[in-house]
Amino acid sequence: MAYAYLFKYIIIGDTGVGKSCLLLQFTDKRFQPVHDLTIGVEFGARMITIDGKQIKLQIWDTAGQESFRSITRSYYRGAAGALLVYDITRRDTFNHLTTWLEDARQHSNSNMVIMLIGNKSDLESRREVKKEEGEAFAREHGLIFMETSAKTASNVEEAFINTAKEIYEKIQEGVFDINNEANGIKIGPQHAASNATLTGNQGGQQAGGGCC
Amino acid sequence: MVGPDDAGRDGSRSLSGGSGQEELMTNGDAGFLLQPEEPPAWAVRTEPGPQEEEMRLPNGGFPHFLPDPQPEPGDGAGRASPPAGAALEEPLRSCCLGPDPEGGAAVGSPPPPRSGAGTESPSEAAAGVRTPRDCSDGAAAAGTLCPAPLGFIDINLNSRNTYEVNRRRSAPEHLPHGGTPATAPAPPQEPTDKTKRIAIPGSSSGIADFITRNFFTKRTKELKPGLHSAPGWKLFGKVPPRENFQKDSKIIQQEYEARTGRTCKPAPQATRRKTFEFEPLSTTALILEDRPSNLPAKSIEEALRHRQEYDEMVAEAKKREIKEAHKRKRIMKERFKQEENIASAMVIWINEILPNWEGMRTTRRVRELWWQGLPPSVRGKVWSLAIGNELNITHELYEIFLSRAKERWKSFSETNSENDIEGVSVADREASLELIKLDISRTFPSFYIFQKGGPYHDLLHSVLGAYTCYRPDVGYVQGMSFIAAVLILNLEEADAFIAFANLLNKPCQLAFFRVDHSMMLKYFAAFEVFFEENLPKLFLHFKSYSLTPDIYLIDWIFTLYSKSLPLDLACRVWDVFCRDGEEFLFRTGLGILRLYEDILLQMDFIHIAQFLTKLPEDITSEKLFSCIAAIQMQNSNKKWAQVSENNNVTKSC
Repeated sequence: MAYAYLFKYIIIGDTGVGKSCLLLQFTDKRFQPVHDLTIGVEFGARMITIDGKQIKLQIWDTAGQESFRSITRSYYRGAAGALLVYDITRRDTFNHLTTWLEDARQHSNSNMVIMLIGNKSDLESRREVKKEEGEAFAREHGLIFMETSAKTASNVEEAFINTAKEIYEKIQEGVFDINNEANGIKIGPQHAASNATLTGNQGGQQAGGGCC
Repeated sequence: MVGPDDAGRDGSRSLSGGSGQEELMTNGDAGFLLQPEEPPAWAVRTEPGPQEEEMRLPNGGFPHFLPDPQPEPGDGAGRASPPAGAALEEPLRSCCLGPDPEGGAAVGSPPPPRSGAGTESPSEAAAGVRTPRDCSDGAAAAGTLCPAPLGFIDINLNSRNTYEVNRRRSAPEHLPHGGTPATAPAPPQEPTDKTKRIAIPGSSSGIADFITRNFFTKRTKELKPGLHSAPGWKLFGKVPPRENFQKDSKIIQQEYEARTGRTCKPAPQATRRKTFEFEPLSTTALILEDRPSNLPAKSIEEALRHRQEYDEMVAEAKKREIKEAHKRKRIMKERFKQEENIASAMVIWINEILPNWEGMRTTRRVRELWWQGLPPSVRGKVWSLAIGNELNITHELYEIFLSRAKERWKSFSETNSENDIEGVSVADREASLELIKLDISRTFPSFYIFQKGGPYHDLLHSVLGAYTCYRPDVGYVQGMSFIAAVLILNLEEADAFIAFANLLNKPCQLAFFRVDHSMMLKYFAAFEVFFEENLPKLFLHFKSYSLTPDIYLIDWIFTLYSKSLPLDLACRVWDVFCRDGEEFLFRTGLGILRLYEDILLQMDFIHIAQFLTKLPEDITSEKLFSCIAAIQMQNSNKKWAQVSENNNVTKSC
């Protein structure tokens, strides 16, 4: 249970792109071809290690339907990372990225790290969105990008962990104020030690932090 | 017998997961005993003596197997007790018949004995007899054991389990080893076996032994060395049928042993085999009974201790089984009682209540009966009546909207939809028609009936499509598919649609499915008032984590608990929801929180959130309904309607 940091993630994107399956693959390492649809929000959690530090990911998996946007919006608050997912076999899910991104930018902390994910990369034969298009979109909007397959687990681990690395780097750079939980970062119960090292690294930038 | 050390090395493993070796060894349900010169099965496998290999490989196991059974009895007769052999023939034959085809198929190199395939008939015993001889000749030449008997035994034992047989086929070179395990006749569980074995070892060796080997069934021999040199494997499982079988085989084996190496082996096997094929369960394990010969034998004390430990384990398992049996019986009894109650309630509903619906629905007696749960046979009918049809929807109207939906779908598929959808104004949510398809198969996926090709797939599609055309201002919203599905399971198509449309027209449902955020917040606020009133400790606990009710209530209310509770339980919630209205939905939510209050108080944010969005599956209606009953929907003398009114929620439509 001891962790240095807790990061809140939110998974967003159109309905049926595989958000819940990505989460299940990441937390349980299994794939469920037919998944219950998500109403409202579901949750997952997993511990990862970055730079020798235990980091707990608290993941909010949201409903994708347009109608639920107004509900989803309230869940951006306090997220340090977002996985914005589209389905490479359905172009419309790619076309909707802009509105998702607007939503995300508008309702989240400006430092929130956004990872763009083109899911279902195992379905190459049904691909409608080229990988280059995803890369271009990500470049244009300053996102990290990966194509994943929740089915084969390809890149799933990497997507979640690379996002965490990015957040971690931002903490190291002092971009995130880890004392403000609205940033989606919480210092773990054993923060005393880890925070000490962190402040050491940071030249005391975040000294005094952690006692929250 | 299960020495801790043994367990540590090879111990008990599940059959299915085991490696080939283990599988083979499984065969001896009793400890199998190797011939003295034979290394333990695993040793053999890895480093088989060249001679042995030669001998065994040709044997391939199966071909010999057939003829062997016959000769064996004969041999045995010559040696020890002839009459027994005759007695055993029947079982033998059956045994032979079973494995034979496999053997034939499996083995490429049919040695002479193979011809004996027809040997089933006792008259052919002669041929059978010849076989061992051939073997012995071969053995003599090779200066080793006669492979035939080995093969024979091997097969029989293995044949118990198809899996093993198959394995062997694919890896015939393992057969010889398999043969070794075959020696397992002695049922390990019987202390008597133990003692026998102990007694026997001394006797095995020398020329006599050699001869015996050739003519006798392995069994005798196997028994002897078993104690120190050979590892004994046994199946350990808590599957009652298997146990019985083991007992049978044990008895038979004992008899057999008593007769000095009579070939009774096959008989039990043949029978067993049928049952065993399907038996290996998760509780099955392999137990290494004796140490492999390359290790010092257990001391007697140690062996005794292991025996004792093993007996204790068995006794423990038996106790558990008896307990479980009692439990099952109790559950069955309860279920039976429930069925009876349902049956008698059904009569009352059909004969008394339904004919006088308006007059009786609000009577105390009916309300009480209603709380107990509606009998499934009248459930749909009562729901329909209780929900009503203030929208005055007719079956014809349903057909009209259904055909409109079908037209839309058709045009979608023709025009590749995308542009169409973009063109549609936001207010017209008929566009959500397209989404329905995605969600149908994600509705109760575990039931399969709503999957593509399932019996209810099209029905669900139709009801949702018709509704979307009927209420384009609401459209299809996720969560609806669960409600429609539950209705379809209880009502005819058009009636399900009517109930569906009227149900969604209720203020609470309308607020949620239009995702009217401010109204939803008011409902949540009213819920929190009663939450604090009923479960103050838990309320504070949630507050301390800023865990708001929307996190779990959205799912519960949108699907009317049909996604989060087991279906039968959800139906019971629906029963009372039809009686009491929206208040009961929130009361149920509080009942769930109350049911799990103690657990939830120990959890932090993420665990609570995960727990409530994925409730335990073993939740029972009895417990839940007693918790719901304990929830008071009174707040300083105000009822739900008043509280929600204060919050401006109740805006009847």
